[in-house]
Amino acid sequence: MRKTIYMLFAIPLLLMGALTAGTANAHFVPAPCDFITGGGWVLNDSAGFVNFGSHGGCKNGKFWGHVNVLDHSYNPPGHLKSTEITGYLMDPEFPNARDICGFGEVTVNGSTFTTRFRVRMEDNGEPGGSDRFGLRLGNGYLVTTRELGPPGPTGGGGNIQLHKENKSTKGPTPAPTEFEMCGGLMWP
Amino acid sequence: MRYTASSFWKFIGAAGALAALAAWPGAGQAQGISGQASAVTAVILGNVTSLADTGTLSSASAPLGTGLGTGSIPGLFAGEALHAATMGWSDQVASEASVGNLAISVAGTGISALQVMSRALAVSGAGGTGGSSIDRLTIGGVPVAATGAPNQQLSLPGLTVILNEQIQSASGIVVNALRIRTLDGLTDIAIGSAKAGI
Repeated sequence: MRKTIYMLFAIPLLLMGALTAGTANAHFVPAPCDFITGGGWVLNDSAGFVNFGSHGGCKNGKFWGHVNVLDHSYNPPGHLKSTEITGYLMDPEFPNARDICGFGEVTVNGSTFTTRFRVRMEDNGEPGGSDRFGLRLGNGYLVTTRELGPPGPTGGGGNIQLHKENKSTKGPTPAPTEFEMCGGLMWP
Repeated sequence: MRYTASSFWKFIGAAGALAALAAWPGAGQAQGISGQASAVTAVILGNVTSLADTGTLSSASAPLGTGLGTGSIPGLFAGEALHAATMGWSDQVASEASVGNLAISVAGTGISALQVMSRALAVSGAGGTGGSSIDRLTIGGVPVAATGAPNQQLSLPGLTVILNEQIQSASGIVVNALRIRTLDGLTDIAIGSAKAGI
Protein backbone atom coordinates (compact mmCIF):
# COMPACT_ATOMS: atom_id res chain seq x y z
CA MET A 1 0.00 0.00 0.00
CA ARG A 2 2.79 2.36 0.98
CA LYS A 3 4.64 1.44 -2.18
CA THR A 4 1.54 2.12 -4.25
CA ILE A 5 1.05 5.55 -2.67
CA TYR A 6 4.68 6.38 -3.26
CA MET A 7 4.39 5.45 -6.92
CA LEU A 8 1.25 7.54 -7.30
CA PHE A 9 3.24 10.61 -6.33
CA ALA A 10 6.62 9.72 -7.84
CA ILE A 11 5.47 8.99 -11.36
CA PRO A 12 3.73 12.35 -11.91
CA LEU A 13 6.73 14.15 -10.44
CA LEU A 14 9.05 12.31 -12.78
CA LEU A 15 6.84 13.17 -15.73
CA MET A 16 6.78 16.84 -14.69
CA GLY A 17 10.53 16.85 -14.46
CA ALA A 18 10.92 15.38 -17.91
CA LEU A 19 8.53 17.91 -19.41
CA THR A 20 9.93 21.03 -17.77
CA ALA A 21 13.54 20.06 -18.44
CA GLY A 22 12.81 20.34 -22.15
CA THR A 23 11.50 23.87 -21.73
CA ALA A 24 14.47 25.20 -19.68
CA ASN A 25 16.42 28.08 -21.21
CA ALA A 26 19.34 26.98 -23.38
CA HIS A 27 22.47 29.06 -23.10
CA PHE A 28 25.15 28.32 -25.59
CA VAL A 29 28.26 29.68 -27.24
CA PRO A 30 27.49 31.40 -30.53
CA ALA A 31 28.79 29.35 -33.43
CA PRO A 32 30.59 30.70 -35.39
CA CYS A 33 31.60 33.02 -32.56
CA ASP A 34 30.75 36.70 -32.73
CA PHE A 35 31.89 39.70 -30.63
CA ILE A 36 30.23 42.19 -28.34
CA THR A 37 31.84 45.49 -27.33
CA GLY A 38 30.74 48.54 -25.46
CA GLY A 39 31.29 51.28 -22.95
CA GLY A 40 28.94 53.43 -20.96
CA TRP A 41 27.24 53.95 -17.66
CA VAL A 42 24.06 53.08 -15.79
CA LEU A 43 22.49 54.01 -12.47
CA ASN A 44 22.23 51.22 -9.92
CA ASP A 45 19.25 50.71 -7.64
CA SER A 46 20.63 53.34 -5.25
CA ALA A 47 20.96 55.83 -8.13
CA GLY A 48 24.71 55.31 -7.90
CA PHE A 49 26.79 55.87 -11.00
CA VAL A 50 28.25 52.67 -12.48
CA ASN A 51 30.47 52.91 -15.54
CA PHE A 52 31.93 50.13 -17.63
CA GLY A 53 34.10 49.25 -20.60
CA SER A 54 33.85 45.67 -21.86
CA HIS A 55 34.26 43.37 -24.80
CA GLY A 56 34.02 39.64 -25.36
CA GLY A 57 34.07 36.84 -27.89
CA CYS A 58 36.25 33.94 -28.90
CA LYS A 59 39.83 33.63 -29.99
CA ASN A 60 42.14 30.68 -30.73
CA GLY A 61 39.85 28.04 -29.25
CA LYS A 62 39.26 30.00 -26.05
CA PHE A 63 37.08 32.80 -24.77
CA TRP A 64 38.37 36.33 -25.07
CA GLY A 65 37.51 39.62 -23.54
CA HIS A 66 38.03 42.29 -20.98
CA VAL A 67 35.73 43.77 -18.36
CA ASN A 68 36.15 46.85 -16.18
CA VAL A 69 33.30 48.16 -14.04
CA LEU A 70 33.39 50.94 -11.45
CA ASP A 71 30.64 51.60 -8.92
CA HIS A 72 30.67 55.13 -7.55
CA SER A 73 28.38 54.22 -4.67
CA TYR A 74 31.63 53.55 -2.87
CA ASN A 75 34.42 56.01 -2.11
CA PRO A 76 36.82 55.33 -3.70
CA PRO A 77 34.74 53.58 -6.37
CA GLY A 78 34.44 49.84 -6.15
CA HIS A 79 36.21 48.27 -9.13
CA LEU A 80 35.89 44.96 -10.96
CA LYS A 81 38.73 44.06 -13.28
CA SER A 82 38.52 40.80 -15.23
CA THR A 83 41.46 38.43 -14.88
CA GLU A 84 40.13 35.45 -16.83
CA ILE A 85 37.26 34.99 -19.28
CA THR A 86 35.63 31.59 -18.83
CA GLY A 87 32.52 31.97 -20.94
CA TYR A 88 30.81 33.81 -23.75
CA LEU A 89 27.24 32.77 -24.29
CA MET A 90 23.89 33.70 -25.61
CA ASP A 91 20.35 33.18 -24.36
CA PRO A 92 17.83 32.65 -27.18
CA GLU A 93 15.25 34.59 -25.16
CA PHE A 94 17.49 37.64 -25.58
CA PRO A 95 19.08 37.19 -29.01
CA ASN A 96 20.77 40.60 -28.99
CA ALA A 97 22.46 39.98 -25.65
CA ARG A 98 25.68 38.21 -24.82
CA ASP A 99 26.93 37.20 -21.41
CA ILE A 100 30.60 37.32 -20.55
CA CYS A 101 31.60 35.14 -17.63
CA GLY A 102 34.86 34.93 -15.84
CA PHE A 103 36.92 35.64 -12.81
CA GLY A 104 37.79 39.13 -11.72
CA GLU A 105 39.59 41.07 -9.07
CA VAL A 106 37.33 43.29 -7.02
CA THR A 107 38.68 46.21 -5.02
CA VAL A 108 36.20 47.83 -2.67
CA ASN A 109 36.26 49.38 0.81
CA GLY A 110 40.01 48.87 1.07
CA SER A 111 39.88 45.16 0.33
CA THR A 112 40.76 43.18 -2.78
CA PHE A 113 39.46 39.73 -3.57
CA THR A 114 38.82 37.44 -6.54
CA THR A 115 35.34 36.35 -7.49
CA ARG A 116 33.28 35.12 -10.40
CA PHE A 117 31.36 37.58 -12.49
CA ARG A 118 28.69 37.49 -15.18
CA VAL A 119 28.17 40.54 -17.33
CA ARG A 120 25.27 40.92 -19.73
CA MET A 121 25.56 43.32 -22.64
CA GLU A 122 22.66 43.80 -25.03
CA ASP A 123 22.64 45.71 -28.32
CA ASN A 124 19.20 47.06 -29.15
CA GLY A 125 20.18 49.33 -32.00
CA GLU A 126 21.34 52.90 -32.34
CA PRO A 127 21.93 55.40 -30.86
CA GLY A 128 22.36 53.17 -27.80
CA GLY A 129 19.82 54.37 -25.26
CA SER A 130 17.97 51.07 -25.43
CA ASP A 131 21.13 49.00 -25.08
CA ARG A 132 21.34 47.24 -21.75
CA PHE A 133 24.04 46.33 -19.24
CA GLY A 134 24.05 44.27 -16.07
CA LEU A 135 26.51 42.64 -13.70
CA ARG A 136 26.37 39.89 -11.12
CA LEU A 137 29.27 38.94 -8.88
CA GLY A 138 29.85 35.74 -6.99
CA ASN A 139 29.68 37.62 -3.68
CA GLY A 140 26.08 38.65 -4.31
CA TYR A 141 26.65 42.11 -5.76
CA LEU A 142 24.09 42.78 -8.46
CA VAL A 143 23.23 45.46 -10.98
CA THR A 144 20.24 44.05 -12.78
CA THR A 145 20.36 44.41 -16.55
CA ARG A 146 19.06 47.87 -17.43
CA GLU A 147 19.02 50.38 -20.25
CA LEU A 148 21.89 52.73 -20.85
CA GLY A 149 19.20 55.31 -21.72
CA PRO A 150 17.73 57.77 -22.46
CA PRO A 151 15.29 56.95 -23.93
CA GLY A 152 15.58 54.04 -21.54
CA PRO A 153 13.78 54.76 -18.27
CA THR A 154 16.65 54.12 -15.89
CA GLY A 155 19.08 56.72 -17.16
CA GLY A 156 22.62 56.28 -18.33
CA GLY A 157 24.69 56.62 -21.45
CA GLY A 158 27.07 54.93 -23.83
CA ASN A 159 26.67 52.29 -26.49
CA ILE A 160 26.97 48.54 -27.00
CA GLN A 161 27.62 46.87 -30.33
CA LEU A 162 27.02 43.22 -31.22
CA HIS A 163 29.31 42.41 -34.12
CA LYS A 164 28.67 39.74 -36.70
CA GLU A 165 29.99 36.23 -36.36
CA ASN A 166 33.48 35.51 -37.53
CA LYS A 167 34.37 32.16 -39.05
CA SER A 168 38.01 32.82 -38.23
CA THR A 169 37.47 32.93 -34.46
CA LYS A 170 36.64 29.81 -32.57
CA GLY A 171 35.79 29.05 -29.00
CA PRO A 172 36.50 25.85 -27.09
CA THR A 173 35.47 22.53 -28.62
CA PRO A 174 33.29 20.99 -27.39
CA ALA A 175 31.48 24.07 -26.14
CA PRO A 176 31.35 24.06 -22.34
CA THR A 177 28.07 24.07 -20.46
CA GLU A 178 26.63 27.20 -18.93
CA PHE A 179 27.64 25.92 -15.51
CA GLU A 180 31.17 25.31 -16.66
CA MET A 181 31.35 28.78 -18.13
CA CYS A 182 29.68 30.75 -15.37
CA GLY A 183 30.00 28.59 -12.28
CA GLY A 184 26.29 28.65 -11.54
CA LEU A 185 25.97 32.44 -11.62
CA MET A 186 22.64 33.46 -13.11
CA TRP A 187 22.46 36.23 -15.64
CA PRO A 188 22.10 39.63 -14.00
CA MET B 1 60.99 83.61 -28.96
CA ARG B 2 64.63 82.85 -29.74
CA TYR B 3 64.88 79.92 -32.13
CA THR B 4 67.58 77.45 -31.12
CA ALA B 5 68.90 74.15 -32.50
CA SER B 6 67.34 72.21 -29.59
CA SER B 7 63.97 73.80 -30.36
CA PHE B 8 64.35 72.65 -33.96
CA TRP B 9 64.92 69.01 -33.02
CA LYS B 10 62.09 69.10 -30.51
CA PHE B 11 59.84 70.34 -33.30
CA ILE B 12 60.96 67.58 -35.66
CA GLY B 13 60.39 64.93 -32.99
CA ALA B 14 56.96 66.29 -32.14
CA ALA B 15 55.96 66.48 -35.81
CA GLY B 16 56.84 62.85 -36.29
CA ALA B 17 55.01 61.76 -33.17
CA LEU B 18 51.92 63.80 -34.03
CA ALA B 19 51.65 61.84 -37.26
CA ALA B 20 50.94 58.75 -35.15
CA LEU B 21 47.58 60.19 -34.16
CA ALA B 22 46.42 60.27 -37.76
CA ALA B 23 48.53 57.51 -39.26
CA TRP B 24 47.49 54.10 -40.41
CA PRO B 25 48.66 51.04 -38.56
CA GLY B 26 50.57 48.50 -40.63
CA ALA B 27 48.32 46.29 -42.71
CA GLY B 28 47.83 42.66 -41.69
CA GLN B 29 50.16 40.55 -43.69
CA ALA B 30 47.79 38.00 -45.13
CA GLN B 31 44.40 39.67 -45.47
CA GLY B 32 45.35 43.38 -45.94
CA ILE B 33 43.31 44.35 -42.90
CA SER B 34 44.42 47.03 -40.48
CA GLY B 35 43.02 48.16 -37.19
CA GLN B 36 43.94 49.67 -33.91
CA ALA B 37 42.20 51.37 -31.01
CA SER B 38 43.39 53.30 -28.00
CA ALA B 39 41.51 54.96 -25.19
CA VAL B 40 44.07 57.77 -24.92
CA THR B 41 47.12 58.74 -26.98
CA ALA B 42 49.04 61.83 -25.98
CA VAL B 43 52.09 63.41 -27.56
CA ILE B 44 53.84 65.84 -25.27
CA LEU B 45 57.11 67.42 -26.32
CA GLY B 46 57.58 64.56 -28.75
CA ASN B 47 56.97 61.82 -26.19
CA VAL B 48 54.07 59.47 -26.95
CA THR B 49 52.02 57.96 -24.13
CA SER B 50 49.13 55.59 -24.80
CA LEU B 51 46.63 54.19 -22.34
CA ALA B 52 44.63 51.06 -23.22
CA ASP B 53 46.09 50.64 -26.67
CA THR B 54 45.30 47.41 -28.53
CA GLY B 55 48.36 47.46 -30.73
CA THR B 56 48.05 46.67 -34.44
CA LEU B 57 45.50 44.16 -35.70
CA SER B 58 47.23 41.67 -37.97
CA SER B 59 44.78 38.81 -38.49
CA ALA B 60 41.06 38.19 -38.68
CA SER B 61 41.50 35.26 -36.32
CA ALA B 62 43.19 37.34 -33.63
CA PRO B 63 41.03 40.20 -32.32
CA LEU B 64 42.74 42.55 -29.93
CA GLY B 65 41.31 44.24 -26.88
CA THR B 66 42.41 45.85 -23.65
CA GLY B 67 41.11 47.96 -20.81
CA LEU B 68 41.91 49.77 -17.60
CA GLY B 69 39.73 50.56 -14.64
CA THR B 70 41.42 53.92 -14.22
CA GLY B 71 44.14 55.65 -16.17
CA SER B 72 46.05 58.88 -15.86
CA ILE B 73 48.79 60.98 -17.38
CA PRO B 74 50.05 63.27 -14.62
CA GLY B 75 49.09 66.86 -15.13
CA LEU B 76 47.11 66.08 -18.28
CA PHE B 77 44.48 63.34 -18.10
CA ALA B 78 42.50 61.14 -15.77
CA GLY B 79 39.69 58.79 -16.69
CA GLU B 80 37.85 55.59 -15.91
CA ALA B 81 36.70 52.42 -17.61
CA LEU B 82 39.17 52.77 -20.46
CA HIS B 83 38.33 50.30 -23.20
CA ALA B 84 39.68 49.55 -26.66
CA ALA B 85 39.06 46.71 -29.12
CA THR B 86 39.76 45.96 -32.76
CA MET B 87 38.45 43.01 -34.74
CA GLY B 88 38.78 41.83 -38.31
CA TRP B 89 36.86 39.64 -40.72
CA SER B 90 37.69 38.63 -44.25
CA ASP B 91 35.71 41.60 -45.53
CA GLN B 92 35.80 44.24 -42.81
CA VAL B 93 37.50 45.67 -39.75
CA ALA B 94 35.80 47.25 -36.74
CA SER B 95 37.51 49.19 -33.95
CA GLU B 96 36.16 50.90 -30.87
CA ALA B 97 37.51 52.88 -27.94
CA SER B 98 35.86 54.54 -24.97
CA VAL B 99 36.66 56.40 -21.76
CA GLY B 100 34.40 57.35 -18.89
CA ASN B 101 34.46 60.19 -16.39
CA LEU B 102 37.40 61.92 -18.00
CA ALA B 103 39.15 65.09 -16.90
CA ILE B 104 41.79 66.86 -18.98
CA SER B 105 43.90 69.92 -18.30
CA VAL B 106 45.69 71.52 -21.24
CA ALA B 107 47.11 75.03 -21.48
CA GLY B 108 45.25 76.04 -18.34
CA THR B 109 41.89 74.87 -19.70
CA GLY B 110 39.91 72.14 -18.02
CA ILE B 111 37.93 69.73 -20.22
CA SER B 112 35.67 67.02 -18.87
CA ALA B 113 33.12 64.53 -20.15
CA LEU B 114 31.04 61.78 -18.65
CA GLN B 115 31.58 59.36 -21.54
CA VAL B 116 33.49 59.45 -24.81
CA MET B 117 33.41 56.74 -27.47
CA SER B 118 34.64 56.34 -31.02
CA ARG B 119 33.95 53.65 -33.61
CA ALA B 120 35.54 52.96 -36.98
CA LEU B 121 34.42 50.47 -39.59
CA ALA B 122 36.10 49.63 -42.89
CA VAL B 123 34.27 47.38 -45.33
CA SER B 124 35.87 45.90 -48.42
CA GLY B 125 34.91 47.93 -51.45
CA ALA B 126 33.00 50.48 -49.39
CA GLY B 127 35.68 52.48 -47.62
CA GLY B 128 35.48 53.60 -44.04
CA THR B 129 32.75 54.94 -41.82
CA GLY B 130 32.76 55.95 -38.22
CA GLY B 131 31.40 58.12 -35.52
CA SER B 132 31.77 59.34 -31.99
CA SER B 133 29.60 60.02 -29.01
CA ILE B 134 30.53 62.55 -26.34
CA ASP B 135 28.33 62.76 -23.28
CA ARG B 136 28.21 65.88 -21.07
CA LEU B 137 31.26 67.65 -22.43
CA THR B 138 32.37 70.80 -20.63
CA ILE B 139 35.24 73.10 -21.55
CA GLY B 140 36.34 75.62 -18.99
CA GLY B 141 33.29 74.67 -16.96
CA VAL B 142 30.91 75.55 -19.80
CA PRO B 143 28.77 72.79 -21.35
CA VAL B 144 29.48 72.21 -25.01
CA ALA B 145 27.08 70.42 -27.30
CA ALA B 146 28.58 67.88 -29.66
CA THR B 147 26.60 68.08 -32.90
CA GLY B 148 27.69 64.63 -34.04
CA ALA B 149 28.97 66.02 -37.31
CA PRO B 150 32.48 64.98 -38.36
CA ASN B 151 35.30 67.37 -37.47
CA GLN B 152 33.38 69.84 -35.31
CA GLN B 153 36.12 72.32 -34.46
CA LEU B 154 36.29 74.67 -31.51
CA SER B 155 38.91 77.40 -31.21
CA LEU B 156 39.94 78.38 -27.72
CA PRO B 157 42.76 80.47 -26.30
CA GLY B 158 45.91 78.51 -27.03
CA LEU B 159 43.98 75.39 -28.06
CA THR B 160 42.17 73.70 -30.89
CA VAL B 161 39.57 71.12 -29.98
CA ILE B 162 38.03 68.82 -32.57
CA LEU B 163 35.00 66.69 -31.76
CA ASN B 164 34.45 63.52 -33.78
CA GLU B 165 37.60 63.99 -35.82
CA GLN B 166 37.42 61.77 -38.90
CA ILE B 167 40.33 61.23 -41.26
CA GLN B 168 39.32 59.32 -44.36
CA SER B 169 41.48 57.51 -46.86
CA ALA B 170 40.74 55.26 -49.82
CA SER B 171 40.92 52.15 -47.65
CA GLY B 172 39.60 53.19 -44.28
CA ILE B 173 39.19 55.72 -41.55
CA VAL B 174 40.65 57.09 -38.33
CA VAL B 175 38.16 58.42 -35.80
CA ASN B 176 39.26 60.40 -32.77
CA ALA B 177 36.30 61.18 -30.54
CA LEU B 178 38.07 64.16 -28.94
CA ARG B 179 41.27 65.71 -30.24
CA ILE B 180 42.95 68.54 -28.36
CA ARG B 181 46.04 70.37 -29.60
CA THR B 182 47.91 73.35 -28.29
CA LEU B 183 48.61 75.99 -30.88
CA ASP B 184 52.35 75.64 -30.35
CA GLY B 185 52.04 72.00 -31.44
CA LEU B 186 53.81 70.62 -28.41
CA THR B 187 50.79 68.91 -26.82
CA ASP B 188 48.43 66.75 -28.82
CA ILE B 189 45.99 64.35 -27.21
CA ALA B 190 43.40 62.02 -28.76
CA ILE B 191 40.70 60.56 -26.56
CA GLY B 192 38.90 57.53 -27.96
CA SER B 193 40.87 56.71 -31.10
CA ALA B 194 39.64 53.99 -33.46
CA LYS B 195 41.24 53.04 -36.76
CA ALA B 196 40.02 50.59 -39.39
CA GLY B 197 41.27 49.83 -42.88
CA ILE B 198 40.94 47.11 -45.47
